[in-house]
Amino acid sequence: MARTAVPRPPLRRFRLANGLSVVLAPIPASPTVSVWVWYRVGSKNEHPGITGASHWVEHMLFQGSPRYGKGEIDRSVVSVGGELNAFTDTDFTAYFSTVPHEHLRIPLDIESDRMTRALISDVEVDRERTVIHSEREGNENWPEFRVEEELYQLAFRVHSYRWEVLGRRTDIERLTAEQLREYYHRFYGTRNAVLVVAGAFDPRAVARDVRRRFSALPRSGGDVTVPEVEPPATGERRAELSGPGTTPFLQIGWRSPALRDAETPATMVIDTILGGEARLFAAGSGWGRSGEHPSSRLHRALVDTALAVRATSEWRPREYPGLFTVQAQAAKGISLDRLEEAIDAVLSRLIRSGPSKKELDDLRAKVRRGAALAYEGATRIGFRLGYFSTIRSLEYEEELFRSLLRVGAAEVQERARQLFVPQSRVVVRYTPTGGSDDE
Amino acid sequence: MTNSSNPLRLEYGRAIDGLRVVRQPAPVGAASFSATYVGPAGSGFDPPGEEGIARLVNQLMTVAAGRYRRIELARRLDRAGALLSHETSPEAGEVTIWGPAGDWKSLVGLLGEVVRSPRFDPDDIARLQRQFLERQMRERTQPASRADLEMLHAIYPRGHPYRSTGLGDRRSITRLPRQRLIRFHRDHYTSDGGLLVVTTAAPLSAVEEAAMDVFAGFSAAKGPRLRVPTLGRTAPQRRTIPLAGRSQVEIRLGGPSIPQSAPEYVGAYLANEVLGGRPLLSRLFQRVRERNGLAYHSSSHLETMRFGGIWSARAGTGADRWRRVVPMLVQEVERLRRETVPLRELNTIRKSAIGEVPLALESTAEAHELAVDVSYHGLAEDYLVRWPARLRAVTPADVREAARSAFDRNHSVTVVAGPVDPR
Repeated sequence: MARTAVPRPPLRRFRLANGLSVVLAPIPASPTVSVWVWYRVGSKNEHPGITGASHWVEHMLFQGSPRYGKGEIDRSVVSVGGELNAFTDTDFTAYFSTVPHEHLRIPLDIESDRMTRALISDVEVDRERTVIHSEREGNENWPEFRVEEELYQLAFRVHSYRWEVLGRRTDIERLTAEQLREYYHRFYGTRNAVLVVAGAFDPRAVARDVRRRFSALPRSGGDVTVPEVEPPATGERRAELSGPGTTPFLQIGWRSPALRDAETPATMVIDTILGGEARLFAAGSGWGRSGEHPSSRLHRALVDTALAVRATSEWRPREYPGLFTVQAQAAKGISLDRLEEAIDAVLSRLIRSGPSKKELDDLRAKVRRGAALAYEGATRIGFRLGYFSTIRSLEYEEELFRSLLRVGAAEVQERARQLFVPQSRVVVRYTPTGGSDDE
Repeated sequence: MTNSSNPLRLEYGRAIDGLRVVRQPAPVGAASFSATYVGPAGSGFDPPGEEGIARLVNQLMTVAAGRYRRIELARRLDRAGALLSHETSPEAGEVTIWGPAGDWKSLVGLLGEVVRSPRFDPDDIARLQRQFLERQMRERTQPASRADLEMLHAIYPRGHPYRSTGLGDRRSITRLPRQRLIRFHRDHYTSDGGLLVVTTAAPLSAVEEAAMDVFAGFSAAKGPRLRVPTLGRTAPQRRTIPLAGRSQVEIRLGGPSIPQSAPEYVGAYLANEVLGGRPLLSRLFQRVRERNGLAYHSSSHLETMRFGGIWSARAGTGADRWRRVVPMLVQEVERLRRETVPLRELNTIRKSAIGEVPLALESTAEAHELAVDVSYHGLAEDYLVRWPARLRAVTPADVREAARSAFDRNHSVTVVAGPVDPR
């Protein structure tokens, strides 16, 4: 097996005739085994009227399939001490179960049963409607959620990234079971899926078992390409929101490259320099952390100077061009105008002078250290292998890692110059209404 | 797996001036290690008028220490691939370091520097004070945190150590001078009453040696003891907190509970799992979400500490649905207290609780949390090994009796916070 710079376990990979990609990662000492199924289906595949369908299908895949009645999927896994969950993104949906290793058969059986044959009954869809409303309401309680939803809606007019993964309220009210079934049968299937098994198992026996269970499934899963192309932005867009909250908050976005673009590594470096987070190669991902990065530029320029109580950046590479964002929560008495000026000054400096040698050295050390600790625990390993396989390829992890270490100051500076342009800038400002009752 | 490599079997080492030293074997093949110092420094020690001091001190410790100013400490950690985190409970202040397994010794040294010599630089204090003020506002205006806060305020009288969430209030936080923070640190981050837990593949002797290097002569002060008054008699209460403009209503039904050392603890643990603690299988999840589709989350929690505990049943739902959900929470708590749990249901929950033990050993960080909990309560070295047997020994009648004691309804409160009509 080829030696990789990112120390992942040895893998066995194959593709079934029906198109299903399989990745097996045997970890003999693991007390558990984690089974993941990733679909290259997400809110990008929806259209107005059925926004939120991917997320709703995610819920419905726990509500019954031919061999598992309502509640039996949960019960089968949890009753042996396992855990299971799922999440939906713009570009993918992922389902996982982690169980003590002797119970591997259970998640494999569930995933093979619901990959193409989930029931999605009218009764259960209706019952789930209020649960999904409730999930959205819980998110709406946070100004940050409302601001981000508005930001993407403002930034995109054609592409499906313009709605939130949970879907629009009106669509949650109206979506029918028939529409969900149609969506599920159109996109979910072997051709759009990656199955990952990580943990303690005999790879030969499990490869046989996987072939036996999944080869029988029909070749399915339609084209998940999004044909709509967002036209270039032609000017700054702004919105003002208000509602309950603490202090003023703002989020600014700029059009950013897609994952496959050559600019991806330099854009990730900009995100780490501004916000401090090394994201895909952060040490201790999954470990509870404060999210504060005192050495990052935004923190130093805004939080240390008493302008903000929090300030960071975020860039998640997506399949299609997305947004690079900067967000800050004002300190008491600081206006959003003042905050915007300070953010502009930080970005101008990066464009003017690029990153320092020290910043790049620190970043490389951080990425190397983070990568060294990235593969610990079957659940996390399953996540990581599935994520890279789905967004592009397993080889891409290694490629990205090496590219990040190679990015130089001039490249970062040039990328910053191209990224932070006024014509693609989108600003959403949130002003709290009324007073808080803390005084 | 030998005893010295089983993460479920802890090894208690020689104490250093009262500081207990514990080693937990790291999970096999783990790339990381973890170490935690726990001191008698929880928010329950906040003096009147200085509410929030424990949490502020705890957080400041992880910001800058010894030779490292704030940015230098952050760079030191980044370059090591390590993380520092902090946690303040009502009883204790914790500081944890996590990082590459091979660097465990030097990182335990760094943890020692953080615990022994925090800098409390004035700029850091001012910045954290600003952040605390914003978090106080958030706590009061967010339905979930406001419901938690109101629940504690209704259950516990002023001055009770479990009453606070640790954030203090505007007056208390802005009035804390640097000298007070230094004094609080000196009095509460002590050897006596303190604990060091290290999850590593290195042997106990190496852990003891590293602990001695770092903590010998740390503190001669006597660790303070928390005073927890008995609650007076009272009746169930109800609080409605209207928060206009929010989308979701948060419901809490909660009250005081038993300490971890109570003889009925294991029964109470299972009672809580039946009620709402066990994800997806519990009665609250099944009834509120699965059968009636009324909420996205519905669960229960039992937090047992050294001197007492807190239980709560909770849900988040819409403004048009909360009136249906509240009686469900009340009924399920009452049913648990009144009726014997069917053996079949108990066995399902029990099997799940026993089966999940291997999941906690997937990574160092997860295993370490268990070790800190067991050591903090001074439980036997093989407590985690014997945990399944303890669970198996509990009968349905034990669960009912434990529920009556642990889910105290006399001192309980129902809080509803969010877009509700106060009438």
